[in-house]
Amino acid sequence: MTLLAFDGVTKHYGEELVLDAVSFELDRSEVEVIIGPSGSGKSTLLRCVNRLAEVDNGTIRFDGEPIGDTDADELRRQVGMVFQDFNLFAHRTALGNVTLGLRRVRGFSKEEARERARRELEQVGLGAQLDSYPAELSGGQKQRVGIARALAMDPELLLFDEPTSALDPELIGEVLAVMRELADDGMTMLCVTHELGFARSVADRLTFLEAGAIVERGDPERLFTDPRSDRTAEYLSRLTGEY
Amino acid sequence: MSKVPESGTSAGRAGTSAVGELPTARQALLAGLGVLFWGWLIVRWSYDRLVAPSVNVTDREPFVPAGPLEGVADALSTVATDLGALGTPIGWLAWAFETAALGVRNLPALAEGALITVQLTVVSILCGLVIAVPLAVARVYGGPVTRWTALAYTELIRGTPLLAQLFVLWFGLSLGPPVRGLPGVGGPLPSAAVVVAMIGFTINSSAYQSEYIRSALTGVDAGQLTAARAIGLGKLAGIRHVVLPQALRFAIPGWTNEFIYLIKYSSLAAFITVPELFRRARDIGADTFRFTDIYAVIAVFYLAFVLTTAAAMRHFEDRTAIPGLN
Repeated sequence: MTLLAFDGVTKHYGEELVLDAVSFELDRSEVEVIIGPSGSGKSTLLRCVNRLAEVDNGTIRFDGEPIGDTDADELRRQVGMVFQDFNLFAHRTALGNVTLGLRRVRGFSKEEARERARRELEQVGLGAQLDSYPAELSGGQKQRVGIARALAMDPELLLFDEPTSALDPELIGEVLAVMRELADDGMTMLCVTHELGFARSVADRLTFLEAGAIVERGDPERLFTDPRSDRTAEYLSRLTGEY
Repeated sequence: MSKVPESGTSAGRAGTSAVGELPTARQALLAGLGVLFWGWLIVRWSYDRLVAPSVNVTDREPFVPAGPLEGVADALSTVATDLGALGTPIGWLAWAFETAALGVRNLPALAEGALITVQLTVVSILCGLVIAVPLAVARVYGGPVTRWTALAYTELIRGTPLLAQLFVLWFGLSLGPPVRGLPGVGGPLPSAAVVVAMIGFTINSSAYQSEYIRSALTGVDAGQLTAARAIGLGKLAGIRHVVLPQALRFAIPGWTNEFIYLIKYSSLAAFITVPELFRRARDIGADTFRFTDIYAVIAVFYLAFVLTTAAAMRHFEDRTAIPGLN
C-alpha cells in the first residue's frame, strides 16, 4: 500500500536547482531514512510533502491524491512534522504545545484536549513535565514534546527533519528511542537524519540524496555493505569514520 | 532560532521578579504617595457626582483649606523681604507655598480636568491597540496591497503633527455636530469634543503602537509560525494563537512608552475645547495671571500619571512573563 509517492519532483530556489526529478514510493508503516550532505535538498524534500514548500514540476501523491489537489491545512493535519530546532511554541507549556492543535485544528473541547495531550506526553515519557515551559526543558525533552505535538494530530505520516542534530550527544538516545517505538507501532516515517545506527536498525529504506537527486536507494544493510555507487560508498564511509 | 538560551537550566526572569520581596523605602514612599493621590482623585470624583452634582466646577470647595498654606507663604515672604538679598532662598520657599495654596484652591477643578485626561488616554490607547494589532500584522504578513495600505496609513499619521490631525477632525471635518447627535454623547458618554479628541488620539496612537508591535512581530522566530502551520493551523490562526501572544509580550516596554507619551499629548485636546487638565490649568492661569504656578501644579499631576502607568505596566509585564521568553 503506497502512502507517499514522488514522481519526477523538481524544485528551484531562484536559479538554484534543489530537487532534481526525484521519484520514489513509500509504503504504509515503512520507515525511510534520507541521508546526504548539507545543501543536498533533504529538508526541502520533506517540506514539499506537507507543502511548506511548493514543487515546480512533477507530482507528489499522498494516499493516492496529488497533494496539490487537497487543502494544505487538511494535508498538514495528516502529515506531522518534527523540526531540528524543535520550534516549540515558546509561550506555552509542554501541555499547551500539544493542546493547541487539538483545540484549534481538531476541535477538541478544553477537557478532551488536556486529557489527550497528557496521554501523548506520558507516552513520550514527559508525564512529569506537563506544566514546564520550553525554556525549562532539556533539548531531548523539547524534541519529545515536539513529537507528542505532532502525534496528537493522529497523522498518517511523520516527517522528521534532523530531529537529533541540535541535541547534545547524550540526549540523542532518548529521542531515537521514541522514534524506534513509533516505528515498531507501525507509524509511517520519513526521516532526514545522520544517525546511521538508527537507519541501519530501524529503517526499511535508505536513500542517499546529493545535489537534489537520488544517488542510490534501497535496503539500508545493502547500502552499507554493498553500495552500487562509489559516491554512496565514499559518503557512508566518511559518516561512519571508516576512511 | 529561538531567543531561548540553549542551556536548559535557564529559569528565565520569573525567578528575578520583585514579587514576594520586601519593598524598599523608596518603593514604599512612592506607593504611599500613589495611594494618597489616587485615593483623593477617586473620592473627589465620586463626591462631586454623588454628593454635590449640581455645584459648578469652579465653585467647588477643596477638601482641605488653602488658608494655612497662604499664611505660611505670607510669613515667609515677610521674612524674605526683611532679610533683603540674603532672603532670596526664603523667597523661593514662599513661592512654593503660594503655588501649593493656588493648587489646593483649584483642586476640585483640576480633578475634573484630570478625569477627562484619564478618560482620553485610557480609551485612546486601548482603541488604538485594537487598530494597531491588525495594522502591524498587515505590515509583516500582508500581501503587497495590505502591506502598502498599512504602511501609507502609518507614515501619514506619524508624519503629520498631532495637533494638525485634531484640527482636521474638529475644524476641517467639523465632526463636533454629528458626534453631538450620537446617542449618549454628552449624557452617559463624554461630550462631543472629548469624543472627537478620543478619535484623533486613537488614530494617532494606533500608528505609533503598530510600529512597536510590528518590530515585536519580526522578533518572533519564523519557526514558530512554521510549526503552527505544520500542525494544520491556517496562517491567521497561527499568527493569532502562536505569534501574537509572544510578540505582544515583547512589545510591552515600547507600548508603555507610547502610553506615557499619550498621557502628555492628551493636553493637545485643550486646543479643540476639551476641558482636560491642561485647559483647566490654562483657564485658572487666565483668571489669576499665574500661568507658571498653575502649570507647575499640573506638572505634578502628569508626573503622577506617568509614574503610575510605568509601575502598573512593569507589574503587568512581570505577571505575564513566561520563562525564557523575553
